[in-house]
Amino acid sequence: MGGGVSRYITRYVPAAVLALLLLGPLLALLVRWLTSSDELSLLAFLNTGTLLLIGRSLLLSCIVAVLASLMGTICGFLLYRLKFPFRGFYKLMLLLPLLVPPYIFAVAWKDGFQWLFGNSSVMIPEVGMIIVHTLVLFPLAMLITGTAFSQIHSGLEEAGLMRVSFRRMLIKIVLPLIRPGLTISFLLILIISLSDFSVPAFFGVNTFTTEIFTQFSAFYNHQLAISQSFLLVLLCLTLLLSENRYLSDAPFFSVHVKGSSTKHYSVGKGKTILHILMWILLLVVLVLPLVMLFHQALSGREILFSRAWELLSPTIFQSAKLAFLGALIISAIGLWVATMKERSRFPYLNTMLLLTFIIPSTVLGVAVIKFYNHPATNFIYTTIIILLITYVARFGFIAARIIGNGIKQIPGSLDEVARVIGIPPIKRFFSISIPLLLPSVFTAFVLAFVLCLGELGTTIMIYPPGTELMPVKIFTIGANAPLALTSSMTLISFGVTMLFILLFFLMGKIIFKRFRYA
Amino acid sequence: MRNFIINFILIALYGLSACTPSSDEVVVYCTVDQVFSEPVLRDFEEETGITVRAVFDTEETKSTGVMNRLIAEKDNTQCDLFWSGDPLRNVVLQSKGITSPYQSEQTDLIPGHFKETGHHWTGFSARARVLIYNKTRISPDSLPLSILELTHPRFKGQFTLANPLFGTTTFHIAALFTVLDKATAEQWMEGLKKNQVVIASSNGDVKKRVMNGELAFGLTDTDDAFEAKKESSEVDYVFLDQQPGGMGTLIMPNALSMMKDSPNSENGKKLMDYLLSRQTEAKLAISCAQMPLIMGTEVPDVVPSLDHIIPMKIDYGQTSEVLEQIQPWLKKWVEE
Repeated sequence: MGGGVSRYITRYVPAAVLALLLLGPLLALLVRWLTSSDELSLLAFLNTGTLLLIGRSLLLSCIVAVLASLMGTICGFLLYRLKFPFRGFYKLMLLLPLLVPPYIFAVAWKDGFQWLFGNSSVMIPEVGMIIVHTLVLFPLAMLITGTAFSQIHSGLEEAGLMRVSFRRMLIKIVLPLIRPGLTISFLLILIISLSDFSVPAFFGVNTFTTEIFTQFSAFYNHQLAISQSFLLVLLCLTLLLSENRYLSDAPFFSVHVKGSSTKHYSVGKGKTILHILMWILLLVVLVLPLVMLFHQALSGREILFSRAWELLSPTIFQSAKLAFLGALIISAIGLWVATMKERSRFPYLNTMLLLTFIIPSTVLGVAVIKFYNHPATNFIYTTIIILLITYVARFGFIAARIIGNGIKQIPGSLDEVARVIGIPPIKRFFSISIPLLLPSVFTAFVLAFVLCLGELGTTIMIYPPGTELMPVKIFTIGANAPLALTSSMTLISFGVTMLFILLFFLMGKIIFKRFRYA
Repeated sequence: MRNFIINFILIALYGLSACTPSSDEVVVYCTVDQVFSEPVLRDFEEETGITVRAVFDTEETKSTGVMNRLIAEKDNTQCDLFWSGDPLRNVVLQSKGITSPYQSEQTDLIPGHFKETGHHWTGFSARARVLIYNKTRISPDSLPLSILELTHPRFKGQFTLANPLFGTTTFHIAALFTVLDKATAEQWMEGLKKNQVVIASSNGDVKKRVMNGELAFGLTDTDDAFEAKKESSEVDYVFLDQQPGGMGTLIMPNALSMMKDSPNSENGKKLMDYLLSRQTEAKLAISCAQMPLIMGTEVPDVVPSLDHIIPMKIDYGQTSEVLEQIQPWLKKWVEE
């Protein structure tokens, strides 16, 4: 009896606290919206114009999702299933665009067009948005479908190849098997593209997100903006829930694929073509934007790297410290939420993190301010705790999914054997699960660190006065600074992020080596 | 593993202890570009020993962070002083009951036109709207003399304007709607559309497109024009509507407002007094060519003097009201 009660307490009390911290602000905002007497509340704002705008935004984002998923799937197959040298290098390099804020690529591409054609207006705004979103988001599809490709058992493909051609086997066996991965990548890219404000705003494309932003920033009409945001959230949720079974169970974002026997195809003489193809891709998605940034940084009347460093250096330690703390907390919560979902059949926390993941950053910012800005909660609102809570809301879902997929790959029999011989649950968790989950937890930590380091949308609305953070400083300084200075600061920020990734990569090698041979 | 957990907790506690507010401080929310405002705030810190905790945003990027934050924090104010790049934002906050009146001793030095009669905001160092042009694309004697000439067919497709829903461009358009009658102003705006005006994402984008020669000229603020001149010898700027009897150019002072029920109001007042001083105006004149409002403030030669510019005669409060009225029309104009 006592054990049952304590189990309930240990399970539900922390879950309730987490729900209060993360979901509380959104629920409070929802209640405020529903109980508002304003005529703009609820769905009164819905009219033909709004519906057309939603349709247009959906269409643009669908094009992005189709193109990015197609590109990502082809790259996923080439890099995860073919055998050729430097595959790891290409994988890593092609993932880098995911780590850079999309608007930086938008600036670089627009300037690239100006440089090439003498007029950036030759780029049709909608096309510009589609190109930038596709190039920035296709690595996500590559990561997800690549993992799905890696989990197809070689026996299935070999059996198919005995009867049909390679092309037919791909269409009839491989593609149906990676359908969950394809669906997930399509939906996630669709949602991210639909929620992004920076790129459409930069190109001057009118989308539903820019409409929400206009209501927030030009009209200061929080009520209408929040109503529209809830509609966007509803739309995203409907899209996600329509494929919920895939989201819950699809093995995307897996770090290691244990126990699978994946067939790797040899490319023979095709290696040269593959290398050329990879380099063209790298050139387009990474090298050209970086070259443009370097060109801008060096094209001013004076070289401003030292000035940029002088401005950014005080922010690096503070940003890194905050990102480190954020990543630690996110990994710990991700581990707990994933364990609750996979082992204790308690998926609600995971669903909650999914919800906070898809909330537009400005709405989350306003919700958090309204909820925490009270005298009693000043200790949260006026300190970095507010940022840490927001980071968990923004990125907890990603960590939970990475770790959750890691948990799925641990055979349940290991835990059962330990239980049978009487090892207590805590000891089983720390002695069996954690060592086996370390690669997943570590990857979640690194990814969370990089995402926290670059988070801007919500941070700029809630960072405590006097706190200096790298993305906020680049954003605010960049407004009126010479282009050369802004580009220099962006490159330094990119370099700092790369340096941390390299450090974690080396650290990871040491940790995994130690655990493997312990 | 136990050590790992202990280390985790210790690191977390160390991190959380980092941000402890002190009593001798002032919290300022600032939409003036950080690169110019931060050094002034640091000087105040050094001179008074009062710690300045600042939140920066920029009107260039629509001031969304700071404005929405101030509105959202209304019921538990965290900010003591709001330093805005133009008075319209202060008027918005005043209308929402977020500001508090304060008449600084320094206020007497500021001309009456640049302060709110109830002391909810006070202006200092001003910028103006100018026409920035690329000398390789258009000669100075071919430039329009009045903003109303932008609809002339000879300028078709040659000029740019930032999105009029945001920033100082909104202010400029609202001021034009105040000075001209509504029908004339709307007709002029439609004329701009017919003349293929390029709508840039921001004043910075206007500056960039003119600097790189993509377009011949554009409307922007003096600080952007000043920066562009520093960056490129091909760029220069002119004040429009300066002919005798002309409607003049829009002058946009910085504006300071004390926040209602702020936690460090005394320090906020000290900072406001400091910012309204001749000394601060001189610093801003040097760093970003802002024009002092206090007569007799020493400025570098490159900084234009308000004594030599014909200003557009507007009432800032009325302009704010007009802005609110024309916003839906402006939104349609942008989207069409």
